[in-house]
Amino acid sequence: MKKLLATGATAIALMTGGAAYAEFPTDDNITFVIPYSPGGGFDTIVRQFAPAMERAMGTTVVPENISGAGGARGGQTVYRADPDGYTIGIYNIPGLTVNEVIGIDQGFKLDEVTWLANLAVETYALAVAADSDINSVEDLCAMDQPAKLSDTGATSTASVTTRITFGILECDIVDVTGYAGSNDAMIAVISGEVNATIKPITSLEKYLGDGGSGDLKLILTLTADEAVPGVPSATDIGHPELAKFTLNRVIGGPPGMPAEVISALEAGLLAASQDPEVTAWAEGANIGLAFIGAADTEALMDDLSSFYQQYKDLAAVAE
Amino acid sequence: MGLDALFEAFVAVLNGGSLLYLMAGVLLGLTFGVIPGLGGTTALALLIPVTYTLAPLDAMYLAGGVMGATSFGGSISAILLNTPGTAPNAATCFDGYPLARQGKAGLAIGASATASAMGGLIGLFTLLLFIPVAREVVLSFGSSEFFLLTILGLAAIAVSVKGKLLRGLIAACIGLLLAFTGANQFTGETRFTGGLNYLWDGIPLVPALTGLFAISQMIELALKGGSVADDDTLKEAKNMKITGVGEGVLAVFKHWPVLLRGSLIGTVIGAIPGLGGTVASFLSYSSTAQTAKDRDTFGKGNIKGVIAPEAANNAKDGGSLIPTVAFGIPGSAETAVFLGILVLHGIEPGPQILLQNEREIYGLIVALTVSAIGASVLGLVFARVLILITRIDVNIVVPVVVTLSLTGVYVLEGRMADVAVATIIGIFGYLMIRFDYPRLTLVIAFVLGEIAERSYHQVRLISDGNVMEYMLGRPISVILIVATIVTFFLPAMRKVPWRRLTGRAS
Repeated sequence: MKKLLATGATAIALMTGGAAYAEFPTDDNITFVIPYSPGGGFDTIVRQFAPAMERAMGTTVVPENISGAGGARGGQTVYRADPDGYTIGIYNIPGLTVNEVIGIDQGFKLDEVTWLANLAVETYALAVAADSDINSVEDLCAMDQPAKLSDTGATSTASVTTRITFGILECDIVDVTGYAGSNDAMIAVISGEVNATIKPITSLEKYLGDGGSGDLKLILTLTADEAVPGVPSATDIGHPELAKFTLNRVIGGPPGMPAEVISALEAGLLAASQDPEVTAWAEGANIGLAFIGAADTEALMDDLSSFYQQYKDLAAVAE
Repeated sequence: MGLDALFEAFVAVLNGGSLLYLMAGVLLGLTFGVIPGLGGTTALALLIPVTYTLAPLDAMYLAGGVMGATSFGGSISAILLNTPGTAPNAATCFDGYPLARQGKAGLAIGASATASAMGGLIGLFTLLLFIPVAREVVLSFGSSEFFLLTILGLAAIAVSVKGKLLRGLIAACIGLLLAFTGANQFTGETRFTGGLNYLWDGIPLVPALTGLFAISQMIELALKGGSVADDDTLKEAKNMKITGVGEGVLAVFKHWPVLLRGSLIGTVIGAIPGLGGTVASFLSYSSTAQTAKDRDTFGKGNIKGVIAPEAANNAKDGGSLIPTVAFGIPGSAETAVFLGILVLHGIEPGPQILLQNEREIYGLIVALTVSAIGASVLGLVFARVLILITRIDVNIVVPVVVTLSLTGVYVLEGRMADVAVATIIGIFGYLMIRFDYPRLTLVIAFVLGEIAERSYHQVRLISDGNVMEYMLGRPISVILIVATIVTFFLPAMRKVPWRRLTGRAS
């Protein structure tokens, strides 16, 4: 009912020449919902973007942490807000996509969210210990025992990626979940507790030979083209579909946002992603900024949804 | 080289502006520490947006000031009100509160302040010693060692609740039950959530602990009436020297083995991600109480029962930086927030952190040192005033503490449901006090339960099902197994031969 009213109000506003939104975005503060606690990756990127958006849009942007239920609670808050552009949020994709595909009720539907932009994309790679005898995916899959990989939670994006990847490769593995963070999962490879791990390339870099500690080496990147010199890509091993696995930081708003508000926010986010302070920070913190506009983000979300739908059984947690 | 960097950091911190941030951190840390329900993690989490506009080093000083000061602040409320200001201070209540009721609050606060400062110093000194081998230390602690440490902690529960073993075990089982609420890390299924979204992430720690310690104690005090200190002791105290703070300071040096052991336990537990200060101070307390000659006086106001947990609690901060300097990973909730502050300033924590961000890391170490000492000095100066709290009518104390702690619970995540959890667990905690069930036992099981389950599952997968064989092949695991067995059987082993020997001698 509330949504119906909101849609109605939007329609009236549009008919009257958008007068109600004429002042956007200077009527009020923009609340930027972060569905996780302070200090994490999603929190950090929003807190970097917020002041740059303020500079670009001439309004105040207030980051607000609404954590809980694996990001669902923050997503619900945005979903229920008025679609006036003053409440937007950041989404963990494909984490939420996977949850939806395997049938977890998150309290809102991703295809109803108004997608505004994609801020960053990270690609994955498969890493083993630098001094290991394993030099390729074939080596890993030809071990006497099924290879062991490390991950945080069973529903984490990296763990889902791991299960689907090795499912596609028809290679038997054991995914040891429960590590406190992705760094801990990588250290388990260094200490020899497990054989390998699939993690975002930007997270792995600090443990690699070039400029890192030299503890790990890559044996595959889940990318279409060569991403790291000398390391085979998904295309090289004959499974280009593996390049679909990415980690995205996507911005969205409540269902039914008017077009001019969408474009104002899209422009603000684009300007922020080009802000010298933001780009300098991203370089230092090793964040792969990759701006994608509203329409393309919408398409990307649909694409991801059908991709994961295909591997629904592999995505669901076994056992 | 490390020492040069350390001296440089000391000089840098003496710069006017930097010292100001550090002192602001100390005051904030003390305040957040004293108020039950608010702790170091809350303070740091609230500070994150503020540090955004600061230079990275100033942000470190502010964070270090907070981290170093909260645990001593929390001991003040533990001693004076039997309400730990932060969860790790829970073990300090055992002997701190009886001392306060005997009119010796000054002695307890003096000892706590000194043990905190000295524990902090020893922890940081140990950290400096360990920096060259930090990598090896972290790599030698795997899932197997995590699991065995939780078992050691759980075994210590059983022996620390002397006289009420059954009640202790019941409390521990309830703690485990609470710990297993929420999404299962391995299957993704939710357990015991009753269909509530809120419980997906499990029962939140801070609201649960606030309820169990602060709210329950306030209910108890409100029903009892009067003031914290006994009326009889109040009358006596009028004729007595009221402080005894100096004696408390001396007591720490007199009992230096207790201080040293507490600090070492704190450093080791601090270095292990996930275990935290509550386990460190509890293990330090229980091992001191178990091995002391005068163990019968523990729980009745033994000053060693204040020194042991407080030394461990502060030493843990130094220890929790060991995984940070080795791999850029946090060793405690506080260091996790601290690393978040670095990322906010465009610094990616990683294994090279000590090489690339020497200034920030040593800045934090110096800030922690200065803060631990500064907070203790402040505490000693104000001890005289603070102990008057025990003489205030509880009709004033209770509403103030309840309001502040429930507000603190709400502020952390902005969820009303957290306040409800704190209240419900508070009432439950009061029933535990009323029927004499140990609350700390529940907390230890609550904190350890999830790690125990998770790491056991990991060991099972890693070892292809041969759990025992795998553990016995790892030296540190073997040491931990032996320590667990000794902990478990120590009371029995000690009793039997001693009795026989003394029996024969007489």
